[in-house]
Amino acid sequence: MSQDQLGRIRGHECAARRFSDALLRSLGNTQVTLRFANPSSGDTSSQLGLEAPAAQDLQISPALIKTLEPAADGKRRIEVVLGATTLEPIAKLYNVEDIAAWLRTFEGVVRGDQLMRIAKVNVDKVFGTACLFRLTATE
Amino acid sequence: MQATKDSFYVALRDRLVAVDPNRTVTLDGATRPAIAVVENEPPNDAPPLCDTFYLQWGNAKLAAPSGNGLMAMECSIAYCTKGTAQNASLDRGRDLASLDNDLLAICAPPQTAKYDYSSGSPVALGSTIFWTAPVLNAAKSGPRYVGREVTITVFFYPEVNQS
Repeated sequence: MSQDQLGRIRGHECAARRFSDALLRSLGNTQVTLRFANPSSGDTSSQLGLEAPAAQDLQISPALIKTLEPAADGKRRIEVVLGATTLEPIAKLYNVEDIAAWLRTFEGVVRGDQLMRIAKVNVDKVFGTACLFRLTATE
Repeated sequence: MQATKDSFYVALRDRLVAVDPNRTVTLDGATRPAIAVVENEPPNDAPPLCDTFYLQWGNAKLAAPSGNGLMAMECSIAYCTKGTAQNASLDRGRDLASLDNDLLAICAPPQTAKYDYSSGSPVALGSTIFWTAPVLNAAKSGPRYVGREVTITVFFYPEVNQS
């Protein structure tokens, strides 16, 4: 029987996700804090930028934080790598289906007393299943 | 200047509710009329939403060099659509026309009363702002979206003691 007839072995993507988690734990097992705004009240004051919605901090572990080359204007950049198996249960609590889109709406990554804006969210997939979310944040 | 920006937005928003009450959008977890001012929204990397009017303020200058105090401020309104899934997005041109119609409708009449919203509730300033007819620039087509930018010049007298 050829490889095509056998098809892909089921569960391949689970192995990749477990491997990603193991990698994150072995590479520092750091905790990262992401800040996101609560739903806006939607009234005129919030539409006019007069009333900021309250923000919540999410502490997520395991995470990997890498320092990237500074941006062209000299601003500091970091990459935060998070596992899909860590984010999915959190996203479920907030009834979120598209995790990448949700992360793009976050206010940023909290580093000490600084909030670094999330500039880019990349998703690494194996066999169509998300394994890692890579957030690029800038000052 | 801020009172002008706020009054223009609120006038267009309220007119949109009257013209097309079903044109709503969920922004930051709140469902509201599908019009927003870019500078009033949280800064993030999320792309603009389809079927939503995004106002962006540009240059402001004296309307005439001789100067009676009348100011002119540019406003661009951008929007795009990807059509509907039921029609395999083949209706995105029609959807854009529908957005164009809504925009033209909410821009007329080209004037509104000016209010100060800084305290949270509107305080009449006893003057009006007015604007030019919208200029619909050429539609821009992407692989999945079609959109347009409209430019309007808003005229106003700056208020004393107003930012």
